[in-house]
Amino acid sequence: MINGDDGFAQRLREMGFGEAALVTKISGRTTSLCQVNGTRIALNHNAAMAILVEALPTGVR
Amino acid sequence: MILPPHITPLGKKRPTGSDRTPIYALVGNPNCGKTTLFNALTGLRQKVGNYPGVTVEKKIGECYSQHGRPMKIIDLPGAYSLAARSPDEAVLRDVLLGRREDTPQPDRIICVLDATNLERNLYLAHQILDLGRPVIVVLNMMDLAVKAGLRIDTDQLAAALGVIVISCSAVHGKGLVELKLAMSRSDLPLARHRWDVPAPIAPAVAELQASLSDADAQSPLIARAEALLLLTDFESVRIAGSKPLSARTTTVLAAWKQRCLREENNWSGTLIRSRYAAINALCGEVLRRTRTQELSGSDRLDAVLVHSVWGWLFFGFIMGALFFSIFSLAEYPMNWIDAHIAALSSGIKTVLPPGDLRDLITDGVISGVGGIVIFLPQILILFFFVGLLESTGYMARAAFLMDRPMSKVGLHGKSFIPLLGSFACAIPGIMATRTIENAKDRLVTILIAPLMSCSARLPVYLLMIATLLPAAALPATWKAGLMLLMYLLGTAGAFGFAWLFKRTLFKSARPLMIMELPAYQPPRLKEILRQMVERSWLFLKNAGTIILGISIVLWFLTAYPKHPDPKASAEAQIAVSFAGQAGHLLEPVIKPLGFDWRIGIGLVTSFAAREVFVSSMSVIFGVQDNGEDALPVRDALRAARWPNGAILFTPLVCITLMVYYVFAMQCMSTIAVVKRETNSWRWPLFQIAYMTGTAWLVCFAIYQIGRALGY
Repeated sequence: MINGDDGFAQRLREMGFGEAALVTKISGRTTSLCQVNGTRIALNHNAAMAILVEALPTGVR
Repeated sequence: MILPPHITPLGKKRPTGSDRTPIYALVGNPNCGKTTLFNALTGLRQKVGNYPGVTVEKKIGECYSQHGRPMKIIDLPGAYSLAARSPDEAVLRDVLLGRREDTPQPDRIICVLDATNLERNLYLAHQILDLGRPVIVVLNMMDLAVKAGLRIDTDQLAAALGVIVISCSAVHGKGLVELKLAMSRSDLPLARHRWDVPAPIAPAVAELQASLSDADAQSPLIARAEALLLLTDFESVRIAGSKPLSARTTTVLAAWKQRCLREENNWSGTLIRSRYAAINALCGEVLRRTRTQELSGSDRLDAVLVHSVWGWLFFGFIMGALFFSIFSLAEYPMNWIDAHIAALSSGIKTVLPPGDLRDLITDGVISGVGGIVIFLPQILILFFFVGLLESTGYMARAAFLMDRPMSKVGLHGKSFIPLLGSFACAIPGIMATRTIENAKDRLVTILIAPLMSCSARLPVYLLMIATLLPAAALPATWKAGLMLLMYLLGTAGAFGFAWLFKRTLFKSARPLMIMELPAYQPPRLKEILRQMVERSWLFLKNAGTIILGISIVLWFLTAYPKHPDPKASAEAQIAVSFAGQAGHLLEPVIKPLGFDWRIGIGLVTSFAAREVFVSSMSVIFGVQDNGEDALPVRDALRAARWPNGAILFTPLVCITLMVYYVFAMQCMSTIAVVKRETNSWRWPLFQIAYMTGTAWLVCFAIYQIGRALGY
């Protein structure tokens, strides 16, 4: 789920952060580096806080 | 025999019709290799400028068809979508929709996709196909896709989209011949879109499409594409120079917008989901992964280079290397240029008889323009490093690392790159702010960029340090320490003002950084060299034209009116000149800082370029009447006195003067560039006021407190 203003949400969706997208976190604590749809995307803390993800059980992809 | 789709079959008629040169638009996501492809197609046959009314670079080039006919290519800004969030994306949208008066609507579109990331890149292509123009899809970086274990069935992709698809590796020159042959075809197929507008949006699209066709004279497919954009992107950026919507369309749009908000519809989410569903279905048919996704080389590098400890260490090493190169390696070519400028000046002096014309050429033109040309090695080194970091993909990681400290002052990591560039010169730094999407963040970055101590301040710092600290008196580390202190002071000032501006004049929500980190790649030296030449030429052209004019004016101000005694010394001449009068006029304002009218002339002449202060001081203090060599400037400064005999350049005054140069806004070229980038005189004037005001206040405090403490 994506919170935040419409422009931000739209831009995230255009980059592949859809509601059913598989997100892999690569690194980072306050600034996050993750992979979505084959794209490596950096999100700062405020942007990352606006994206709610559900953790997949281990071994499930 | 079945010919590949990019080749015109024999027997087909040659292109007839108007002699108008066909215009191609080159579009694609950022980092897809679009510019590399553009450079490969057009070579040096390019023109670079700006779109009128907006600070977005306009690049048009030319290549030739297989029949020898010229074809124009417009390299449009990279974007993830036609929904415009920045002036760059607005230019892309408006050019494709035919809304720019200054740019003809392209006849055909070359859509460049990064083959290693097909799903995401197809999103923009999906929107481009809506336009109903002939499209050639170029799958770039195919070599990297193959290495990553990706197999793309280009024939099936072409059949599904109804367009020609060319595999390409622009950086290695592969696929260019096929692309040019395809561009030469007179009968490019129009796209066949297996996609319908989602039902919830369809009625609105239909009504808006009708209005755009009737009232805005758009063709049906362009009208449909534009209707989709308008209905799903209510907050999109509008820019100067683009044709506005008609009154009827604006009314229809406003009604549908109100209805959408009232019913709490999420049309943009619906549309994006619909497009990605179509894209994912397509990728399921054409894309195969021959091995499971494992950690790529880029991922392994990122584990170190964006690590919270190792990442910073590596970043520090890179920055150290950059600064060492700019301030040490550049010294040799700078000295070489300096020697040649001096030789040119001497040569002119031997050829021309003494007089105003000779002085104008040597002291005005050569001195002024030479003062900018001498920084070219530093500018070139800076652009080389920036190009190296950008082409390898590390610059994005640096911005990622810097995001956390930048966010403390309300900016985000993208502001780091312009501020870094400003350490060499604020002009390219300010121009680099075009990549910052948020207008307020961009403006704040422009306003603080000149506070980063640029290379033009170096001669002033060096002169003051040499005056303050005689060579034998103290170790070199003291001098280096003092220099570093000035740099840190400027940086602290920049961050401090960013914090203040973001909480007052430019209040906005905390910045959200979303940035794609491209895969690491080996540096493309040819590209880097081309960019170095291009950007340096722009720098020279921008600075040189303004500096030349200002230098002539300043020479005039120091040369006129003439001293009544024709044999008067240069120092006496300056004292009676307009510049000298300005210095005397300025003295009451600068005396509380410990400066006299002679330093005042230096401050006035520094408006041409900060480093002109040194030559002004050498003229005012260092020139001898009896024809002997001039004293070294620092010795002359140490010997300078107030009328009451007190030393003028005390240690306190030297430090105060350095601090003044840290904060004051003095460079006319920078002011001109700020005016151009902000499209207004308001912000350059504000910049002069706040920076020079700060310089005065801080220096007043330092000098007066220093005097009170007995220094």
